[in-house]
Amino acid sequence: MNMETEMNLQDRPFDINDYIRLNMMPHFLCPGCGHGIALRALLWAVHELGLDKDRLAVVSGIGCSGRLSAYVDANSFHTTHGRPLAFATGLALARPDLTVIVITGDGDSLAIGGNHLIHACRRNLNMTCLMLNNEIYGMTGGQVSPTTSADRYTTTTPAGNREPVFDACALAAAAGAGFVGREVTLQVTGLKDLIRKAIAHDGFSFVEVISDCTEIYGRKNDLGASPEMMLGQKAVMRPDTYRSTVDVPFRPNALKTGVLQQTDRPEYGSSYRAMVAARQRDSGEDR
Amino acid sequence: MNATEIRFSGSGGQGLITAARILASALVDQGRNVAQSQSYEPVSRGGLSRADLIVSDGEAAYPLVSRLDFLLILDQAAAHASDDLLGEGALVLVDSALVRDPPQGAFRCLALPFTETAQGLGNKRAANLVALGALVGLAEICPFDALERATAARMPARLERLNTEALAAGRAMADAQVVPAGG
Amino acid sequence: MTSRRLNLQGNQACALGAIAAGCRFFAGYPITPSSEIAETMSGELPRVGGTFVQMEDEIASMAAVIGASMGGVKAMTATSGPGFSLKQENLGYACGAEIPCVVVNVMRGGPSTGMPTRPAQGDIMQARWGTHGDHTVIVLAPASVAETYSETIRAFDLSERLRVPVVLLLDEVIGHLVETVELGTTATAATRKFATGPREEFQPYAVTEDLVPPMPRPGDGYRAHTTGLTHAPDGFPTQKPDEVRAAIGRLSDKLVLHRELIESWHSQAADDAEVMIVAIGITARAAQKAVDDLRAQGVRAGLFRPVTLWPFPEQALRDVVAKSGARAVIVPEMNQGQLVLEVERLLGRDLKVTGLNRFDGEPLSPADIAARVREELAP
Repeated sequence: MNMETEMNLQDRPFDINDYIRLNMMPHFLCPGCGHGIALRALLWAVHELGLDKDRLAVVSGIGCSGRLSAYVDANSFHTTHGRPLAFATGLALARPDLTVIVITGDGDSLAIGGNHLIHACRRNLNMTCLMLNNEIYGMTGGQVSPTTSADRYTTTTPAGNREPVFDACALAAAAGAGFVGREVTLQVTGLKDLIRKAIAHDGFSFVEVISDCTEIYGRKNDLGASPEMMLGQKAVMRPDTYRSTVDVPFRPNALKTGVLQQTDRPEYGSSYRAMVAARQRDSGEDR
Repeated sequence: MNATEIRFSGSGGQGLITAARILASALVDQGRNVAQSQSYEPVSRGGLSRADLIVSDGEAAYPLVSRLDFLLILDQAAAHASDDLLGEGALVLVDSALVRDPPQGAFRCLALPFTETAQGLGNKRAANLVALGALVGLAEICPFDALERATAARMPARLERLNTEALAAGRAMADAQVVPAGG
Repeated sequence: MTSRRLNLQGNQACALGAIAAGCRFFAGYPITPSSEIAETMSGELPRVGGTFVQMEDEIASMAAVIGASMGGVKAMTATSGPGFSLKQENLGYACGAEIPCVVVNVMRGGPSTGMPTRPAQGDIMQARWGTHGDHTVIVLAPASVAETYSETIRAFDLSERLRVPVVLLLDEVIGHLVETVELGTTATAATRKFATGPREEFQPYAVTEDLVPPMPRPGDGYRAHTTGLTHAPDGFPTQKPDEVRAAIGRLSDKLVLHRELIESWHSQAADDAEVMIVAIGITARAAQKAVDDLRAQGVRAGLFRPVTLWPFPEQALRDVVAKSGARAVIVPEMNQGQLVLEVERLLGRDLKVTGLNRFDGEPLSPADIAARVREELAP
């Protein structure tokens, strides 16, 4: 890629090829997987915000979602299972000049990495966490996850899932995340707009992307191909613009989408740096 | 030269480590080398506690005590915890009120009213400094004014008067002891 | 400013050494007996414009340290026993992805929660082999407060030069010991080579002459990929046997190539020793005193003290022992026999190598070691 195209990137219409590593294609995602749509929405938001790829850091954990960092033409870090938020905390504190995006999954961030998620929300350090929720451990062959719906079959729930489901957004909001939102992959522009707001927010932003695992989870539960799964997801979602006026009696279990929480809690990095600056002033006076 | 080995022992919260650190800091100001270690139980208050000092002129080959020259015992809980480390020629100072059953052997052992004296000064928590004053007076390992300076430097200013009085009371106890010729 | 003479605790010396080495990021989690390192760093780092963060657990603090280091900042964490176990997962990531960092482990009694305030040397093998998979790591084991300061600086120096995590292995006695030290103001640590040159041809794990690839720094335009998966020179995952062999092989070849830089050891009265003692940490200090006392009584004892514990200074030990003509080697340690295994591996074919073990939460004393030497020499 030559310098001219780099410089003009933001003036051109969004082209995903400007933001991915073409040498890594073809990607490894299964046909119908929603993760590719989520990645596209992220990169589209990055484009619209005019972010410099050299100062963009994408940190991911382990699982299908974890593999996405390798496709982004940025500073990419594929870390350990459940820990991407902890790696990203060190990176963001040490390098506040970077835009830090974490890509994680439901198992990665709610099971093995649950504690890191809670404390990342509490700390409210400036970064954006995309949690791609496909209700399953896909990479390891389809085991039950903390978000697998009731009664679903997985390789470790041969009689159907009996465990309750995590509401990741409620968790993030309760733990203090400055920005919380949810969207389905069917709504690509809505998802792009949501991610754009999340990145622009000064603080910890948590976005749950309702993705789909067609090949493993879909097949095992006869949920149809990707279009059917995505429409099914859409059917149980209720955009926040509907408020509570529409269809609640018909869809009592609907999950809300859109921006679910946005607060002006102080961003941790800048408040720490203000303390450091004060300490340095004080010790300067001591001398 | 041979190192001097000193132990402060008692129960947690008696200020043993503080006393040891004050003495260590006074000694380093005098150009001596110290190694200070401590042992305590995993509780914040109470429990057997001790702080050890090895005083030498270069880096101590081994920084832990093996044969004590001076032992301070401020609580019955520590009365016999150091018996194995006591030999001929050692000097043992025990709190006369809190140690019922001091160690016995071929060494000198004095029971002195550290806690009572501190209470008389208005704060029994200064017993550690009364004892430190007595120890320095008897052991003659450090000039008394260096000890006073180190105490003032390490302790809160609001306690300065109490601490000075506590050290002086301890020193007076030391002066009152008639040391028989030949130890 | 010239050197400062002061009474300093081992843990504090470690923190001040890190600051002197240019460490500007510390992430940790409270644990006895290492907490003073975190406490000192929390005060010192802001003074020099650095960052301290107390993370939610030991795993996260190790991850944050690696994250900061991937951002180009020198970083350290400190822990003890149970926390060191938790750090192993991401320590392995730092080994595989070659992220410089310093991990301090102040050893306490174990297994499990064990004895939080009592000393032990039970993590000698864990420090070498704690994380899963075939890997290499450097472990340094200081034996005094002054050496804790200088070895912390050296830990950063080695970690930065060689892009390898360095474990600083203290025991509770050394960590909590206060000694009079003179801190020089000249000792410094190197800073890693950052990538420079054309971006298009850049390979983050290229095989260079020194086997240490320059590290890409975010913001410098290289936009590299870092992964814990086994990777090819381009940084992306590979499972091709020839690429895997080259990648894993280079990690160990790198340490072999730079052995001279890494290895550090001391000997005492070794030249004509009939019995050689091999020991580290506070046990080495006891051995030092035992050798002094024995020599004063005409007993020919000597000491070999590895400061670099891993990779073990193999040739140095063989040479020192061969030159002395010693007929027996004693390895005192505060565990049931770990260091002795390495010494046996190196010398056991020709010499009698035996352990002297104490694992009751109390350090081995000079008298314990001296008695064992006498026993060895008894007709």
